[in-house]
Formats: sequence, structure tokens, C-alpha cells
Amino acid sequence: MSLDNLHVDALVVGGGIAGMQSALDLGDQGFQVALVECEPSIGGKMITLSKVFPTLDCCSCITTPKMSAVAHHPNIKLFTYCDVQSVQEADGGYRVNLVQKPRYVDASKCTGCRECEYACPITVPSPFDRGLGAYRTIRVPFSTAVPQVAVLDMDYCILCGKCEKVCAAKAVDFNQQPEPFEIQASTLVVASGFELTPLGAKKEYGGGKLRNVIDPLMMERFLAPTGPYGRVLRPGDGKEPTSIAYVQCAGSRDTTLGIEYCSRVCCMYAIKQAMLISGALPLAEITIYYMDIRTFGKGYEQFYQNAQAMGVEFIRGKVASIREDDDQNPVVKVELTEEGRTIERTHDLVVLSLGMVPVPGSNTALNLPLGSDKFIAIPAPNASPCATAHPGIFVTGAAMGPMDIVDSIVTASSAAAAASAYIREHKKEAVYA
Amino acid sequence: MAHSDKPKQPKILILATLAGGYAGADATGQVHLDYPANTYILPVMSPVMFPPEFFLRAFERGIDAIIIMYSGTDSPYKVEADGTASLVNRTYTLMKTRGIDIRRLRLAAICTVCVKPFLKEVNQMADLLKGIGFVKDEITAPAAAQAKGA
Amino acid sequence: MPENTPNPESPAPVEPEEIRVGVYTCHCGGNISHVVQCERVAKMVGKLANVAVSRTDPSFCSDAGQAIIEQDIKELGINRVVIGACAPSLHEQTFRGAVTRAGLNPYLYHHVGLREQDSWVHASDEEGATEKAMRLMAAGVAKARLLDPLDPIRLGAEKQALVIGGGVAGLRAALDIARQGIRVTLVEKSPFLGGRMAQLESIFPTDEKPRQLLHDLIQAVTAQVGITIFTQAEVTGVSGYVGNFSIQVTQHARGVSPEMAEALTAACTQETPDPFNYSLTRRKVIYQPYPGCYPAAPAVDWQHYDGQPIQVNGKSIVLQDDALVHELIAGAIVLATGFDPYEPRQGEYGYGELSQVITLPQLIRHMALVKNGETLTWNGHPVRSAAIIHCVGSRELDGVHEPQADGQVNNYCSRVCCTASLHTALEMRQRFPRLNIYELYQDIRAYGRGHEEIYRHTQNAAVRFVRYHGDDGPKVIAAPKGDPYPVLVQVKDYLTYGEEIEIPVDLVVLAVGMMPRQVDDLVNMLKISRGADRFLLEAHPKLRPVEMAVRGIILAGTAQGPMNIQESLAAASAAAAKAASLLSLGKVELPPFVARVDPAKCNGNGACVTACLEEGAIALQTFVENGVEVQRAVVTPANCTGCGACVGACPNRAIDVQAWTLAQYDAMVDAIAMDWPELVEVEK
Repeated sequence: MSLDNLHVDALVVGGGIAGMQSALDLGDQGFQVALVECEPSIGGKMITLSKVFPTLDCCSCITTPKMSAVAHHPNIKLFTYCDVQSVQEADGGYRVNLVQKPRYVDASKCTGCRECEYACPITVPSPFDRGLGAYRTIRVPFSTAVPQVAVLDMDYCILCGKCEKVCAAKAVDFNQQPEPFEIQASTLVVASGFELTPLGAKKEYGGGKLRNVIDPLMMERFLAPTGPYGRVLRPGDGKEPTSIAYVQCAGSRDTTLGIEYCSRVCCMYAIKQAMLISGALPLAEITIYYMDIRTFGKGYEQFYQNAQAMGVEFIRGKVASIREDDDQNPVVKVELTEEGRTIERTHDLVVLSLGMVPVPGSNTALNLPLGSDKFIAIPAPNASPCATAHPGIFVTGAAMGPMDIVDSIVTASSAAAAASAYIREHKKEAVYA
Repeated sequence: MAHSDKPKQPKILILATLAGGYAGADATGQVHLDYPANTYILPVMSPVMFPPEFFLRAFERGIDAIIIMYSGTDSPYKVEADGTASLVNRTYTLMKTRGIDIRRLRLAAICTVCVKPFLKEVNQMADLLKGIGFVKDEITAPAAAQAKGA
Repeated sequence: MPENTPNPESPAPVEPEEIRVGVYTCHCGGNISHVVQCERVAKMVGKLANVAVSRTDPSFCSDAGQAIIEQDIKELGINRVVIGACAPSLHEQTFRGAVTRAGLNPYLYHHVGLREQDSWVHASDEEGATEKAMRLMAAGVAKARLLDPLDPIRLGAEKQALVIGGGVAGLRAALDIARQGIRVTLVEKSPFLGGRMAQLESIFPTDEKPRQLLHDLIQAVTAQVGITIFTQAEVTGVSGYVGNFSIQVTQHARGVSPEMAEALTAACTQETPDPFNYSLTRRKVIYQPYPGCYPAAPAVDWQHYDGQPIQVNGKSIVLQDDALVHELIAGAIVLATGFDPYEPRQGEYGYGELSQVITLPQLIRHMALVKNGETLTWNGHPVRSAAIIHCVGSRELDGVHEPQADGQVNNYCSRVCCTASLHTALEMRQRFPRLNIYELYQDIRAYGRGHEEIYRHTQNAAVRFVRYHGDDGPKVIAAPKGDPYPVLVQVKDYLTYGEEIEIPVDLVVLAVGMMPRQVDDLVNMLKISRGADRFLLEAHPKLRPVEMAVRGIILAGTAQGPMNIQESLAAASAAAAKAASLLSLGKVELPPFVARVDPAKCNGNGACVTACLEEGAIALQTFVENGVEVQRAVVTPANCTGCGACVGACPNRAIDVQAWTLAQYDAMVDAIAMDWPELVEVEK
């Protein structure tokens, strides 16, 4: 990959499902696209999921073809493990300064054989598995990563040199430095995604403190065929849980957290996980504590009704707090709003249905105006639903507020339409076959 | 070779639609659920493409059972649901004339996430074959069956 | 019209090349090799006829692995490739790319799934898994020997699109497509653009004025080069396929000339209930729905005009509908046919029986007719107390709710009604501060950006919330004579622990859901599908969320399912992106898996034509062979789905689906059925 200055029609920031879809739609129309991803692989949050609602399609089967299409698209240039440093308006477009973070592996030489990974003696928790699994300090980030190029985590590396010795391609390079480069783009599409509300944000729920209180992406890794265990267990002691509870709105619709909005996806992912768990652990009892079930999308209400028919227990109630008993079992104190009393119930495992927040720092370089929810502001949602306050900068997916995969893909195509019209109208010499 | 001593296994051919059974088989793989290895899955666009003679030929060549895993009414093809059912019925008639136990041919609707139905079909057929044995014994052995068909 | 693949004057037979198969058994980083003895498989397969090389690798999908295959093609003259690896859904495209890069036709490659369908499901039987892998790979080689090079079906694509529906989604789609340099014809059934959005007064969450937004959008559409608008027009015929649809549009006359419009409108006396105000008011049969509508000229409501002459300046004028027929071509069709509000059944929550029961869309129109500063009245009585019932015609349950004429209940959520109800309640509290409002709901679904704030404001604005259960909904009855309020709403309120309450009200407002607009004729003409909810069905909610299974037919807005305006706009722009991807390059490529007739074997018996259920996919045509007229089947690849119904039906084995031929299946069966000693022999 050459880091020479590059001119493209569109620069897409973020290689999750929304960014990939925008890039593909622009590339398919013949525009030259640069796709920039800060992680070592594209795929975003979606590639870590197990199955997706409401079809229960295997998630990787839907994501990997898109990842591969992006990687092989003749009009898309992929820049992984790169950060956007700054953006300036220039020549009727944008000058974007980026930095290629050091992988300590020469991407042009690495074959993805993983020999370095097998030789590396240091094991670290894998963020891909939400810390539930481990990987080596040098590794291909995950089995379906794109590109299949190893990356070394210098924070943990002891510089023993074993990886360098076994690498037949001579790709390991401990001396790599951050490399700044620049891309000129007529238009930007921001698809910087979301993070979960921090697990420990609501102190009363004991997230991060109680070992059998987990976040929903951890449950995704338990349920995913590619996950670290291939089954559902309690992180506290490895026991198979027989009673699992979901606490809805744990990090959304909560003024005490400053997160007043609904995160849109939590009802559906909780129901989906409940259905998948009852498939994996047919004897397990699953309870969902909720205030409003918001299954508003196409086919979602039917999905909710199916879950009820399958025996998932829905209890309308406000969870006040969670504590732990002597056997590490989370004990949920819940106010039953339909009965006017408060009870305590003991479960084996509790999933906090955390909401979505913007990725910290994702707007530093772009400096776009934000809404009161801290997501990127859309000044005219009912006229131009993907246009930011800056002409020529469009936003898609969860960077513009919580949304599910279907909505992310639709807004991604919508942003691509807006961006391509902008390119044609503001840069007459745009590539157009 | 060590395995040459191993008893010969009956063979189950599975014709699975890309939109249904083939994806269902992949889904079964993704959850790592075991089933007998004497199962050979071939992807098909839709089973309506096969004439009944195809199945007879396969039995004659030594395929002991065939499961058609189609998409039924969920098929992307309008013709699949009724067309396949009709095909199977016509094939049953021909199988009877050749003395082939019609239980050797099964039609099952399997979707992309039908892990349990997939396993049920495969295991049932494997069990059946343990009872009724190889198709070649059936076709070639009793002349009576031949005569009955003629 | 693309060239029909089978042609009696077939091309000269090509020199048969030597088949050299390269076989690649992937370890999949141990995923396969931990169970299947890959080296044994590779060795055994390597001995099969035509196999020139048989290799294993830790991962053939890696760049290094792909490079091995590419090198073999270039250096060893490999001209058929068989790869045994993970499921084809994962990496078939990857390898097809590698094969293409090496200069080989991508369809000379066959993928065998050894992971999901072997190693991962036979972990306890390594020997069985290995034998299975051998047989599957042998079958792959058998198929590969019979593979032919294929090219995708390339169709010229008209750089023109048809958009059906002139509401907000259709307008947005038309504008965004035209901005990509593709000409658009926009067809709207009614005489005016704007659709349902024009009937709203304020849009959540921004409180913008919908008719102003529409005005701006319509202005952009009419100013955009390349958009032709037909109002009072309907699609009355469609033929062809993606890239090249022929479309017939029938357009009714506006009925009044611009110079006569004012006089005729003034003189017209015939009136009809005004659908713009949901029949709350009446209007003339020569009409404009609202001031500022587009086009501004009045039009005749042909459905209701009684044909009687209208007297103008002493002249007696009978209005004439001289319909025009337009013939168009388009490469893609965008369906933006929109929704209708659910029409409650007679007696549903008292609707149609008690005059105080109306729908939310009616309330919105009614409030628009109340001047600022006036009090809200209904039937001439001031409204002191109103109940809004949520989920009417939405979230219905089988066995609880009465099915509609088609036997279905609406078990979907209509997505917009919660926030629309809250937003309306808030407006009522602001405009009529003394009005008591009750919201009777199951779950408040204020999911969108800024919606939860509306919910909170509504709670703070002293709107009272009552939560009911879907299987035990509210009952609306007439109050006994002498009661201070005309109507009682009885409901079990689960916010007060299931207490039975009775709410006396002057007005009951049913927050009705969305139903798809009646489009039976389009569904039949375009051969498209509807889902169980009767909305038009996308091909796949994530892979192709705004496209239909029929290629070239794209969805925009509420034709697909309930959406709010912002969502309709996004979906419409997404539809435009798909139309542009399809058409901007001027050509469409389809996979080559379609039926192909061998004219030498075809005797024109037509069994294939009878068997085929796809419109226009296969037909008999007359050819002259040696001076004799003969019938031969001819496939139109663009309309063929490759199901193979014709293949099974042909008594002469004259048809095959390309890349999925019967001969290939026979060969694969033979390889799988190979006798045990035979396999062992090969392996030795």
C-alpha cells in the first residue's frame, strides 16, 4: 500500500457494516473510494455478533461477504489500523490527514499464516471476545479478519523475537513507526459507529464488579459459533447457567446517566439472545425485565410474539439494584410496576441490556456539531436525513444515533446517494464511467 | 490400509437447495453437532431440475438413500414446492416397479437455520438403512420384485 | 433484447482442450485438518484422472494460499480448480476472484464444503470424515471435468428509471436518481404530488411544517433536469426485465383547461367527501386539495364526477376524460406506492357506531380546521376530555383480534403511531390547555432520535397514561343518558396494578396503524412478492434491504413497511443508490446460472414451456432447418431464475442449467457411489 497522497471521490470513515455498505454503493457507481478503519480489520461490531434479528441469519455469513466485497472492489482502497488526525476544507473538497498506526508487521509481506501467533509466548485478553477469550500479543485479529494481516500489541510484547524468527515472509518489524499520510476527498461519509454504555455506568447494577453480570456483546461471543467457548457459561465460575435475566434500558432512557434517549436495539437483541439461549440451553429459564418492549421494525413484533410463545418470561418492572449472593449468583431487586410490589429474584447470570453511545474521540478530528444526545447532529432530518452541518460531509449508521443493522444499511445506502450526488454536482470531473 | 477392514457403509445422498437445506447443513456445522459421516450433501439450485430417472440411476449405482432437502413454500422459485412433490411421487412409482423400498427417498423442507430438523432427517435415514441395508441387495436380489414391476 | 443463448446455428465446436484439474484441500487453520486427514485426501484425489496437481495448505483463502492456486494456473496449465475448504458461502467469491486474476474463467472452479459439512460435524469419526472428504472431493473433480467456461449475462441497461408514487419517498427517490444523471419518469395516481405527508400539520421531532418541506422538495424535483412527471397516471402494462422494462402508463385528463379552471370550479356544484380531510369535510369534484399544492391547477375527480354538465357563462360544459397512453422504457422501477391508514372495522372501539370515535389522522385534519384561539369542539360540543387508544390495527393477536377479509390480523407494529400520538397530545395540551388527555397504550415505542424527549414532555404536560394488555384491550361504550360525558372508555390499567377504570370522554381517538396501499395490479404485472404483513417484501433485510427479489425492482418508503418521514426519505435515497448502482454504468450483469437449450437435441415438444412458471423465461420459436420449419425452445436469460423446472421436464435431456448440469450430477453421484475397494485402490 502506498501512502502517497491520494485523491479520491469519497472517503468513508469507519469499516463497520454502515461504512462498508456506503463504500460499496459508491464504488459500484464507479466512484473512487477510500475506506479508513481504526481497527486492524474491517467488520466493526457486526462481525462479533452471533446471529442477527429478525431472520436469525448467521451474522458472519452476512458480514464476511461484504468484507470480502470491500477488500476486492476495484474502486475501493482499504486503509486499516489508521486514525484520522485532522480534516480541512481544501480545493472544494476535504484534505484529510491520517496516520497509519504501526502493526509491527509489514502488511505487504504478511501472508496471514499465523505462525507468529503460534510462536508468541504472551497471551492477552482479546477485545474481539470482549475479554472472555485470549489471543497472542501478535496475531491475526480474528479468523475472518480482513485483511488477514497480523498485528503486534507493543504494550504487552516482551520483544523475545520468537515471532520474527518463525516468520517465513520476514514481515515482523519491531521498528515500525506511525506513518502520517494524506488523502484528498471530494466528500466524506462518517460511519464511526457506537460503543456500548460502559458496563459499570449504573453503579446499582454492579456491572464490572459482579462477575456474573455481563454486557450483551459478551453474550454474543458466548453464542457465536466463532466464540471463545462455543457455549453459554458464567464467566465467574464457568458453570452452565440455568436462570438468565436481562435488564432492559440499563444505560438508556436514564436521566441519571445523562442518556435520555432510547437505544432502539436493546429490546430486539435481548429477545434474540433469549431465543438463541433457549436453543443452546433448552432447560434454562430466561427472564426479561422491561418497561416498554420496543419491537418496532419489520418482522420484529412477530419475533417478540414468537419469543413469548417459546416461553421467554417478560416481566414489566424497574430493576432497582443487583447484588451477589454467596454463590456469585446475581440477585435482582425489581419493582413490579404491574403489581405495585418489590421482589428479589436470584439468577445465575444477568445481562445488562446496555445502550449505545458515540465512540469516544470519534469526532475529535472531524469536529462536527453534535446533537443533545452527543451523536452527530442532522440539521434537517426530514429533508436530508444523512447530511451533517457541513456541506459534503454525510453520516450514516450508529454515528447518527442508535440504530440496528437493517437501518444502518439503509442509511448507508442513503448516505452514499447523498454523497454521490454531491460529488457529481460539486466536482464535475468526478470519475463516472 | 487400516480402513480397508472397516465394514462398508451405506451411503446417503442429500440434495440440498442453496436457499434451504444446504444452508441448513452449514448451520448445523456452525454449531458443531455430530451426525453420521456417510452423508454426502450436494448443493442444488432447486430439485425440480431432476427427472425421476436421475434418482433411479443413483440407486442403481449404489446410493442407498436420497434425502431431498428443499425450501418448500419458502423457495425463491415458484415451481419448487409443488414441482418437487410431484417429482417425488413420480419417482416413487418408478421405484416400486424396480423393487426399491420407497423409504429410501425422502423429501424434507429444511430452511437455513433448520439445525434440528436437519439432524432429525439425517439420523432417521441412517437408522432406517441399518434396518433395510444396501440398495444393491434390494435391486439385484429378488427377481420377484423385478417381475412385479414388469 | 439480449441474444438468446441457444441458437440453432450453434457456434463451431471448439477444439477440446486437455482437462488439467488442480485440487486444493484446505486445512482451514486446523478447522478441517484436526478431523479430516487432509494429506490422505489430497494424495487420493491426486490419483484421479485429469488431476494434475493436488495440494494442501493451512489456509488457501489467505493471500499466500490464493497465490499458490494462481501460480498453478499460470505455470502448470491448470484449467479446472477444485477447492475443498469452508462453506462456499464464505469463500467461493474469494476463490472465484483468485481464479479470475490468474486468467482462468471463474466458472471453471468448483467449491466443496469440508468444514461445516464434514470436519465440524464428524469430530468423533475421523475415519468416516476422511472417507467423506475423499468422496466429496472426488465428486468435485468429477464435476470439474464437465465444467464449461461461462460469462455473466450482460444486459444493456437503459439509463432511465420509473418511480411509481409521488409522495415524499417517490419524490426523494426521483430527485436522487436524476441527480446521478439518470432520467426519471415519476408516475403519480392522484392529480397532485405530495402524498400522505401533505395531510400532516407538524412533523416530529422537529415541529417542521410538512407542506413547506414538501414544497421545497417538489421545487427541487421540478427544477432538476431529467425528471418527467405524470400525475393522474397509472402503470397499466409492464414487460421486459432489469435494464430494459417496457412500461405503459395511462394518464387521465386534468379535465379543466387553465383558462377555464377558475370559472368551472366556481360553477361546479357537485360535491363529494374530501379524502384530504378524511371525509370530515366535503369538496367539489373540481378541486385542489390544499392551497399551494402542486400542480396548482385544479383537476377533476373522475371517480366521483357524475357526468352532468356544468353551466358556465350560459354554456353547458360536460367534462371529458381524454386519457393518454404513454409508452416508456426504464432500466429499473422504484415502487413508492405508500400506505393507507388502517380503517377500523365497523364497531371496533365504537368506530362507525359512536360519532365521537375518530382516527388520529382525522383528528389531525380536524385540528387543522380549528382556528388558533378557538376551542376544540366535536359535533358542536366542546371537547373537554379525550382518550387516544394506541395500536388500533397494529400488534393484533391471532385468536384475540377479529381477522380482516383476507383472514389476517395485523400483527406488526406500525412504528409511527406512538410518537405521532404523543406529539399530537402535546400539541392539544398546548393549544387547548384545559383539555384532559388520556393515552391508552401497551408499550410506548418512542424509539427515534428526539422521540423519547417528546414522551417526556408529554408526561410533564399532564397527559395521563393508561397501560392496557393487548389481549384485554379497552372497550368504548356510549355513556348512560344523563352522564356528563357522552362516551365511556373501560380499561384495566396496569399502571395502577390492573385496576378497572372508566374514563368519561367527549372524543375517542384511534391511533390507527399503517396498511400497505392496494397495489394488486402492480404485484401481478411485476410478479413481485408481499410478506405475511402484506407489505412489499425485500429480497433480504440485510443483504438487499431495499431491493425486491425480482431484479431491477426497488422499494422506497412505506410500500415496504411502516416508516416515519425521516425513515422514508432515507429508504428512498437508498433506493436511488441502488438504481444508480444498477444503471449508471449502462449495463447489468447477472449470474450465468440459467437454462440453456441444446438445439440439436430439442424437438420442440414444449414440455419445458409448460413446466416453467417464470414469466417470459422460455418459449418455443420457429426456425428454418434445412428448409423445414421447426420449433425449438429458446430461453430469455434475463427472465430465467435457473430453477431447472424445464430440465426435469425435458424428455430429451436437451436443456441444462449452466454450471448445474444433469451430467455433472450423474458424474458426482458416480464418484460418491464408488465402491469401497475402488476407493481404497485409488488411495493406494
